[in-house]
Amino acid sequence: MDAFALARPSRRSILAGTAALIAMPSVLRAQTRELVVGGAAGHKPWVEQIVVPAFEKKYNCKVIFEGTRSLVNLEKMQKNKDRQYMSVVQMDDPVMILAVKEGLLDPLTPAKAPNMADLLPGSTHMDGMWANYLQPWLGIAYNKTAVKAPPVSWAELFDATYKGRVIIPSLQNTEGLPILFAAGLLTGASLDAAQKDTDVGFKKLATLKANLLTIYTQQPQAYNLLEQGEAHLIGPAMSSYCLERKAAGAPIDLAAPKEGVFAMPSGIAVIKGAPQPELAFAYVNELLGAELQGKLAGPTFSLATNKAVPKPEGLGADVKIFQIDWANVAAQRNDWIKRWDRDMAI
Amino acid sequence: MSTTRRLDPVLLLALPATLYIAIVYGLPLLFLMGRSLFGTGGLDSFVGFFADPFSWTVLANTLRSAALVTLVCLVIGYPTALVLARAGGFAQAAILVAIILPLSVGVVVKAFAWQIVLRRDGIVSQAMTGLGLWSEPQRLLFTEAGLVIGAANIFVPFMILPIYAVLKLVDPRLGEAAATLGASPIYRFLKVALPLSLPGIVTGVAFVFSMAASMYVIPSLVIGDRFQTLATLTGRSFLFMRNEQLGSTTAVVLLALTVAVVIASASLSRRLGGAQ
Repeated sequence: MDAFALARPSRRSILAGTAALIAMPSVLRAQTRELVVGGAAGHKPWVEQIVVPAFEKKYNCKVIFEGTRSLVNLEKMQKNKDRQYMSVVQMDDPVMILAVKEGLLDPLTPAKAPNMADLLPGSTHMDGMWANYLQPWLGIAYNKTAVKAPPVSWAELFDATYKGRVIIPSLQNTEGLPILFAAGLLTGASLDAAQKDTDVGFKKLATLKANLLTIYTQQPQAYNLLEQGEAHLIGPAMSSYCLERKAAGAPIDLAAPKEGVFAMPSGIAVIKGAPQPELAFAYVNELLGAELQGKLAGPTFSLATNKAVPKPEGLGADVKIFQIDWANVAAQRNDWIKRWDRDMAI
Repeated sequence: MSTTRRLDPVLLLALPATLYIAIVYGLPLLFLMGRSLFGTGGLDSFVGFFADPFSWTVLANTLRSAALVTLVCLVIGYPTALVLARAGGFAQAAILVAIILPLSVGVVVKAFAWQIVLRRDGIVSQAMTGLGLWSEPQRLLFTEAGLVIGAANIFVPFMILPIYAVLKLVDPRLGEAAATLGASPIYRFLKVALPLSLPGIVTGVAFVFSMAASMYVIPSLVIGDRFQTLATLTGRSFLFMRNEQLGSTTAVVLLALTVAVVIASASLSRRLGGAQ
């Protein structure tokens, strides 16, 4: 490149150079296999720093990670249905459900991804269409200066001592949905019952209104208020966000309520008709494996789905982890949001 | 209009703006209205919308908050415009810069700043308790009062500038003439200055009201999810619920409301202007 810039190129040399540049990608492709993975923009740092180098070395190939939003990934898959260029996709479960409906995914099998056998129950969905690899968990975030004893139960969000000091996420946000189920659990319902019939949950939530500082749609705003002490509790709060703020020095921490914590949806799947299918299944298999998950759980403040990886710090070994039925959520969410707007209004 | 038999070539200068508006605004608007009126639900979706008591809460939220924002802007803006019109030289330039410069700060930044000011230990609460007006610190953040204060701060230039533009054209000798005839300052203001500046007030009110009725970012940061307006409901319907029918219905209702306000104020302005 430097030589190119120094020498004044003649027209002919430019033509020759351009031709070589155009021809190059196919030459490269012939030499090294290339795998395109679509995922979330926020995942780019850990994918490129930890996953990609390990995988490229082991399989002698090149991995390109395209970070964007889940719905954009879905659109890319729809547009290229006859000629996919991405092989693997990392998306949230609710979007995976849409991809399955469109027939865009190639199911995982234990033969193609042997690490599936070592996953915790509930980590694969819709007959293996996709699997969860790492899951941020949802607990209660609290300001350490204002709250001396870490909250031990979801019931503390409803405690009168926190009048006007509690923030919850909107149902519009994925991390906000479990508040409805947690409220149902507090009335004595099972998780299944709390998800299917949300009426008791909504009635319980109405009693939270006196404690509410606000309901957020923008996560950074909520944490800003928590760190400054205007808010004392945020629940449900996402480990990947809260613990990263804590690691950055914010006076906050995340508690795991005794009833259990909720797992956030983060799935991985192979795209149907993808280039390099063996490599694609190998990539998924690696992300489901104990070795890579063990390396990733810490930096991403997430739960591993492989049985062999211990639970992260701050979560007791016996803490219950709830997996949400995202198909049920997809079917009912709009009706829930309608009721939420009415019941939770100021 | 009846005198322009031949097309004035100068009118061609309006062509770029007309095309631009027609393509980027007119066409999408037609699609939106078409979808809301002739879409899957059609007129039924409007019937459904108005039959739902919650829709009336949302409508009331939208109109009440916009009216209050407009009122606060008028109360703060009118005296400012008066001072601005009277001031000369450096003072006028300084005031103009002070009004216009904050427009370059993003709405999100301002909304975040209000979050600090309106907190329980924020400066408003401290001042009110310090003056003995409040017995204990209170929070204005995430209340309707907080929303009105925050939004008025952002929209007040759009009230000041049209009023100033009109006041500047008023001959100062009119007031002096009234004074020589023995009119008191209050009488002079009510019978001379105020009627002459009414077209500016009407324009400012139309500006601020239509912007306040359709604000989206400010309520979502200053009051949050618990206060739905037509604009926030439209945004949520399109962006999160993927309910385009509801979204286009609320969008058309909001559009009808603001267009009604703008047309009413324009005709009011013409009538008042003609009366002078």
